[in-house]
Amino acid sequence: MRNRLADRGHRARIAGQAVAFGAIRAVSILTVAILALIIGFVAYRGLRYSNATRGPVLQYSEKVPDGLSLAINPLSRLESIDFPVLYGMFTDEYINWAKISGQDFDLVPTIPDPSSPDGKAASKLLFGSSTDPDSAASMLGGLVKVLPDAAAALRVVETMPGAAALVPASLAEEAARAGKVKTVPLRRLVLAVNDEAAALIDNRSVEDLDDAAIARLLEGKVASWSELGGPELPVAVIAPSGGTPLASAAAAAGYGKAECAGAKAPSAGPAEADRIGAIRDTAGAVGLAFAADAQAEGLQTLTRKGRESGWNLTLRYLVEEPGLSGKVGGISTIIANTFMMLALTLVLAGPVGVAAAIYLVEYAKQGALVRAIRLGTETLAGIPSIIFGLFGFLFFVDILGFGFGLLSGCLTLTLMILPTIVRTSEEALKAVPKSLREGSLALGATKLQTILRVVVPAAAPGVLTGLILAVGRAVGETAALLFTMGSDYKLAKGLFSSARSLSAHVYLLFAEGISFDRAFSTATVLIVIVLAFNAAARLLVSRMDGGSR
Amino acid sequence: MSKETAMPSPAKYVVRDLDLWYGPTQALKKVTMDIAPNAVTALIGPSGCGKSTFLRVLDRMNDLIDSVRIEGKVLYDGVDIFGDIDVIDLRKRVGMVFQKPNPFPMSVYDNIAYGPRVHGLQDRRKLDEIVERSLVGAALFDEVKDRLRKPAMGLSGGQQQRLCIARVLAVEPDVLLMDEPTSALDPISTSRIEALLEELKKRYTIIIVTHNMQQAGRISDGTGFFLHGELVEFAPTREIFTNPRDKRTESYISGRFG
Repeated sequence: MRNRLADRGHRARIAGQAVAFGAIRAVSILTVAILALIIGFVAYRGLRYSNATRGPVLQYSEKVPDGLSLAINPLSRLESIDFPVLYGMFTDEYINWAKISGQDFDLVPTIPDPSSPDGKAASKLLFGSSTDPDSAASMLGGLVKVLPDAAAALRVVETMPGAAALVPASLAEEAARAGKVKTVPLRRLVLAVNDEAAALIDNRSVEDLDDAAIARLLEGKVASWSELGGPELPVAVIAPSGGTPLASAAAAAGYGKAECAGAKAPSAGPAEADRIGAIRDTAGAVGLAFAADAQAEGLQTLTRKGRESGWNLTLRYLVEEPGLSGKVGGISTIIANTFMMLALTLVLAGPVGVAAAIYLVEYAKQGALVRAIRLGTETLAGIPSIIFGLFGFLFFVDILGFGFGLLSGCLTLTLMILPTIVRTSEEALKAVPKSLREGSLALGATKLQTILRVVVPAAAPGVLTGLILAVGRAVGETAALLFTMGSDYKLAKGLFSSARSLSAHVYLLFAEGISFDRAFSTATVLIVIVLAFNAAARLLVSRMDGGSR
Repeated sequence: MSKETAMPSPAKYVVRDLDLWYGPTQALKKVTMDIAPNAVTALIGPSGCGKSTFLRVLDRMNDLIDSVRIEGKVLYDGVDIFGDIDVIDLRKRVGMVFQKPNPFPMSVYDNIAYGPRVHGLQDRRKLDEIVERSLVGAALFDEVKDRLRKPAMGLSGGQQQRLCIARVLAVEPDVLLMDEPTSALDPISTSRIEALLEELKKRYTIIIVTHNMQQAGRISDGTGFFLHGELVEFAPTREIFTNPRDKRTESYISGRFG
């Protein structure tokens, strides 16, 4: 009986142990998994963007709409344009390329005189096919340069980085082949809809449609608007008349054939203006239209929802200077500022910290003073960085009058990382065996010689690891820097010049709502730098250990 | 080795009434002995008897410990080592080899050249010469001549200890203090070092602390027996081992304690 009991107890203990070990192992694996998840997520989010988009225009784009081209200066990074943007360019909605292509140029829209033939076509493209020259001239924005002919407009585009012109395709393509300008395709197909179908009834209206829903709608597979969240109203698809530019665009976009299947298409093609009128007047009608025409007739359009994705972190982002608070451009100057900051901090904190550690370990009489110093450094290491920031602001920026700049920031960082450096260096120095010191002294070396030639080299891997970890802390610091180093994203020109570090840039991009995507790509760069520092520390230590053992 | 050469006057070290305290604990009591030049003097005794402490007095290594207090007289070549002398100079002339090999974490070459370098020698050719001579002197040259630039930590324990001896020889001392230099080594390395000592005593005065009675018997000319901080008996080795005058020596040697 007793034996059995003992046996059972033993088994229970073993089982308990297994459970405990299992739990410990699970938790430790979990930490690694969490680390991988964090780094992986931020890196993925930083490398690729994938954002929901919503807008009136459909995906199909035309290179030469109505025989025209949008010619822009080759410096512009614009690859394609949506009609509302094009419209905005010529009506003073945009004055800068920042929101158009992410570049910090002034926008110079040019157009041939609306009363000239070239200009007439351009103004019809912008303001609808039934626009007359006078009203077109009055609708153009005040910033738009109206030039006598297309050739003059093209010349402006060739010479001014921010210029754009709507000119006949033949002229533009010739200039594009010569590399003088660049032409971009236009997306201008919209779904024009009858007011009643689009109306908000009982707090319900037609929802945003994805491409599949749009196709279904145009193929006549949707009987009532209520299926799309709208009112109880039958859907009437009105197809474009054959032979019109709209019909060929619709066919090219893949909507043409399907539409015929279920659409109540007017058999004899009415003029485009009549068709638009039909959409307006038929309850529940919907049909493809060019945005300009729909807009000119005051028709409502349905909203397409899509998803746009691409590379977020590009080489360009790394090497370009930032502009407009980081909204445009890259982060090259911020990377440079960060490394300058690190170098200066290391120069300030490294020698002082290591020297202090040498003093504490090798020279100071191990008494109350050393204990007090040790307690002080340990406490200092635990103080929140924001406190260092406040202190740095008051002391370095204000009292000493260094102002917001590299020097104030680096001095604050120095105070912050000094305790870490002192503690790690102390431990490294203490770990050097006494026998090495005795061996050196017994050879007749002085204490200083012993420290400099034997103790410090032997402790170097540990000291360097401490330095690199401290730098790692500095590179990730934000709070202490915002109050002291300033946030100028231009390249720092001197010790007193305000500068922004990568981590501060991430914070500002995010907190000021400048760009979520850019915050993530900057964070990815930051992570890579921190990981590189860690890897360098490991490599250095293993090299040195390999050399001494 | 005859009795006359074992204890000739003038002695290398003259020790008179040496007392040493670690704080309140007395570690050496009225030690008096003369140490002969160009001979191997062995210090034996049970652990904690003060023999290592005594050895460390001879090149003032106890200076490193704050709580140590010393009274009495130690003359080295007639000069009081507690008087107005340069400790660096003393340590240069009195080399010390420790119980555990303690090569510096640098190359074999730099280990040997360390002493001459800290004493100001920069000339490469001379350093090369010294390194080779020291390694030959420590019977290590043939084993390491192809790896002078390799880290010393890569050598075996016995090689490391001979490296430490070579390192001491490089500063051209005239006394070698050895604190149980073979206690951390295997028998083969031990016998090599013992053979080396036989060779070295022609040129150096050697004082060796050992726990190994056979070793003391094999290699030393004179032997001192320490017990509880006292030098119980100091006599030519053969006498100590065959005809000890003190009962306590006899008990220790015959293995009754220690």
